Amino acid sequence: MAEGAETRVADDGLRRPWGTILAFLLPALTLYVALTAYPAVRTFWNSFHIVLPRREEFVGLANYVELAGDDIFWRAVSNTLVWACASPVIEVSIALLLALALYAKVPGARFFRVAWFTPVLMSYIVVGILWLWIYNYDWGPINVALRALGLDHLARPWLGDPDTALPALIFVASWMWVGFNMVVLLAALHSLPREVIEAAELDNCGWGGKLIFVILPLVSATLLNLVVLSFIGKMKIFDLVWITTKGNPLWSTETVSTYVYKRAFEWTTFDLGYPSTIAAVWFVIVLAAVLGLTRLFKLREKLEY
Amino acid sequence: MASLKRSILLLILCGYTAFAAGPFVWAAMLSLRTTTEIHLDHFALPDPIHWEKFPDAWFNSNYATYFLNSVQVVVAAVLIVTIVGAMAAHCLARYRFRFNRLIYFVLFSTIIFPPQITIISLFQVLVNYGLYNSKLGLTLVYVAIQLPLTVYILESFFARIPADLFDAARMDGYSDWEIFWRVALPVALPAVATTVILNFILLWNEFLFAVVLITEEANRTLPLGIQRFIGDTQEDIGMIATGLMIAIIPVVVIYAFFSEKLIQGMTAGAVK
Amino acid sequence: MRNRLISALFGLAVGTAAWTGGATAQQAVELTLWSHWSAEVPKRSFVEAAIAEFEANNPSIEIKATWYEKNALYAALKTALRAGQAPDIFYAEPDQVEYMDNGFLLDLSSLNWDAVEPWAKEAWTYQGKPYGLPLEAWTVELYYNKQMLADMGVGLPDDLQFSPDAFADLVKKTKAKGITPLSLGVGDRPYPGAHLAHEALLKKLGVADYSNLLAGKLSWTDTRVVDTLTWLTGLSEAGMLPPTFSTLKLTEAHIYFHTKPGALMFLNGSWYTSRAFNTPDKGGQPAGFPLGIMKFPAVPGAVCNECRSIAVGGSYVANADTTHPEAAIRFFNSFLKPEVGNRWLENVKVQTGIKSDPSKITDAQAADYFSMIAKTNAGAKYHFGIPIQVMSGKPKEVFTQVINNALPAGNISVEDAVKQLSEAY
Repeated sequence: MAEGAETRVADDGLRRPWGTILAFLLPALTLYVALTAYPAVRTFWNSFHIVLPRREEFVGLANYVELAGDDIFWRAVSNTLVWACASPVIEVSIALLLALALYAKVPGARFFRVAWFTPVLMSYIVVGILWLWIYNYDWGPINVALRALGLDHLARPWLGDPDTALPALIFVASWMWVGFNMVVLLAALHSLPREVIEAAELDNCGWGGKLIFVILPLVSATLLNLVVLSFIGKMKIFDLVWITTKGNPLWSTETVSTYVYKRAFEWTTFDLGYPSTIAAVWFVIVLAAVLGLTRLFKLREKLEY
Repeated sequence: MASLKRSILLLILCGYTAFAAGPFVWAAMLSLRTTTEIHLDHFALPDPIHWEKFPDAWFNSNYATYFLNSVQVVVAAVLIVTIVGAMAAHCLARYRFRFNRLIYFVLFSTIIFPPQITIISLFQVLVNYGLYNSKLGLTLVYVAIQLPLTVYILESFFARIPADLFDAARMDGYSDWEIFWRVALPVALPAVATTVILNFILLWNEFLFAVVLITEEANRTLPLGIQRFIGDTQEDIGMIATGLMIAIIPVVVIYAFFSEKLIQGMTAGAVK
Repeated sequence: MRNRLISALFGLAVGTAAWTGGATAQQAVELTLWSHWSAEVPKRSFVEAAIAEFEANNPSIEIKATWYEKNALYAALKTALRAGQAPDIFYAEPDQVEYMDNGFLLDLSSLNWDAVEPWAKEAWTYQGKPYGLPLEAWTVELYYNKQMLADMGVGLPDDLQFSPDAFADLVKKTKAKGITPLSLGVGDRPYPGAHLAHEALLKKLGVADYSNLLAGKLSWTDTRVVDTLTWLTGLSEAGMLPPTFSTLKLTEAHIYFHTKPGALMFLNGSWYTSRAFNTPDKGGQPAGFPLGIMKFPAVPGAVCNECRSIAVGGSYVANADTTHPEAAIRFFNSFLKPEVGNRWLENVKVQTGIKSDPSKITDAQAADYFSMIAKTNAGAKYHFGIPIQVMSGKPKEVFTQVINNALPAGNISVEDAVKQLSEAY
């Protein structure tokens, strides 16, 4: 990486063949403007209007006012935030433990790594259907196992009970992503300089001490990235919910994505303005959260050094 | 003592492996059994093994259409996004000009955009362009959503190619385009391979944009096709499982061949 | 007539319509039709037969039908209509006011309405104009397994309606035998669970006050409403419904009732037949199944125990933007004959909005079924439409989540339920 930075500075930096630059950038920029930037701007524009198929009407902040009092929206926000905060913690911490285990050179590490990674290859759709079966009341493995253990009273329709539906889905998402996080962390561990860890060993550090004082600080950048990545992923979550519960029961698994989709394409209104308002507000929230998260970690890093 | 610790650790790891891969193995077993057999015992081994269910799902459930649609859309999108993204990444890494970092940052920051921000207007835009409910429209949208990640991974790799290489090429009379096409791209092949695999897997599984932008049966991609299976009618668990397996196979094959590459790329570029 | 001649000549001369391009576009009309019922064989074959007959009588018009399942169809239509890519004719139900609100539907005033039941026309009339061809009409019926009831040693009263106490007893007795008293599931539909509440509330309040309740003019916190919902909750708590109620799908609930594991009763629209009268391998009831129909039980303190819901269901509407409105209307009119109405009754075995004569039915199973329906509907006073057809927007969403799903599942208290609903308007 250091080398790369040097060459960049060493480049003459004076050649600015604008024609060539434009030719290289134009396709990407065109696609970007037409299919990302313009739609995003249009969403904001929509959010101040009622957008019906044959009629558009400026309504000012009316959609925003309605949104502020829309308890289904706030329910969806809280569900999504719970999910986005719980998932990174679960995923990254389990992944770290698993990665450390593999780092300790257990036999069959290669096999484990491949096996653990498989859930991520499947789409949320496939995973969703599989877990619908796993959570099935009558013959799903979970209830079958509970009944076999004589714990019949614990058997329940996991996705049909408002108390368990959201945790059950969070569990599925974590199941899916732990392997991915583990693989990334393992790679980060392998790239650590040997000497540092050996030095720690000489200093008579125990495993716990080594983990907290040596390894964690060294992989903190990777950890941060994984946390942010997982966080963003869960703030977007749609597929898994749509295929399993569609936000039921009693809005207990409603996420912002499913609510936007429902309001735009399922509810008995054709208005695209209000769902655009939800999207716009959510965009701001996600942006603020990601920036805040990054800043928080940076701040801690500074304090530590 | 140490070996005891070790065996306990190994036991835990095996347990976790069963947990991580178990559902997949279970689904694979279901895919080879008929629904009647499954209802008798949900956890039995396939006996006899019903291989014929695979051609059955392929020919009788419109699976061939979904699969080919997915192949068309995803292959085209990956091809376009790789070329367009590599061009932009090369340009941003190689030439220094005003707004260079600004353009890079704007492109890159899209990675954190929640899809809701574009999905509704994309629907409107594609309707306006006459691209709604068409494979071409979906392909272009896929290119647009994977563009930031592609540029990001490739830019960091291109930036590491020593400038001497380009100077030498220029002395040999290569044009700017030739430098990109015949020098930069071949050198960056490992990174390109990573983005290809990554984009392929992500797009192969994509659902939200497909569900909004495609309604016609003839244009449905695999994830939409699978979703249709769990519709109104009585669930044909055995057949759904077969369908799931067909959908996973391409990804698993690609992963089996390129897992090292993929992991290298992800750890080097996408995440770190 | 002349058009047909010309098109026939063209057909002879050129062989294929594609060759002549614009010239034949006017003669060889193709109407596209999107319909629900991809898996409901009787309805689908009825419509396919009607299409074949219409095409035979009108060689210049071709109807290209695409069959969907309901949720997929609705999703496809919502976007296709907005994108201007909707078909000429499509399936709709009268609750989809948004279609009419946004001017998507063709005014069908010129249809042969004399052949339609007045209440069915009324169901499709919006701001003075009719918009739909009301093929299917249905009532909410309480089906039961005659054999099972006899085994229980319980006799059904002559008027087919249990008193509240007798019904509660029946539920307890059935449950004690390890049998689920009433099959019902809301895994994939926004209304089955609500059948319980709306049939009970309608009886308790009478037609007028019940309408007010749905329209938000009578508060959901009214004591009569609370009492009725509490009574129902008591039944649910006594174990009336399947433990899988919240995830059980419509088709699965049918099978739960008549095949496995078997329930004593099943509350469903009278279109029960379209699934249950299939062969068992297609999810139908077993051969010789002892099907009976009883009235919904009397409700404590009800003012109108003979009140019940009737609804217009599956209908066809035409796209306001269709380029061939006359062809669409001609197609619709081909349904509006008593013999077609009878054919519907005979084959589909559900009521219809087309005027028909049930006494002329020859099919034994259909005749038997309609005589049972006639008995439960004798002397009935009707409310038109079920709540989700009458409600819209947020009240509808809250009603679905609370009354359809959460309350029967025991996931919410009656106080919370009525509070949420009264705040939704």
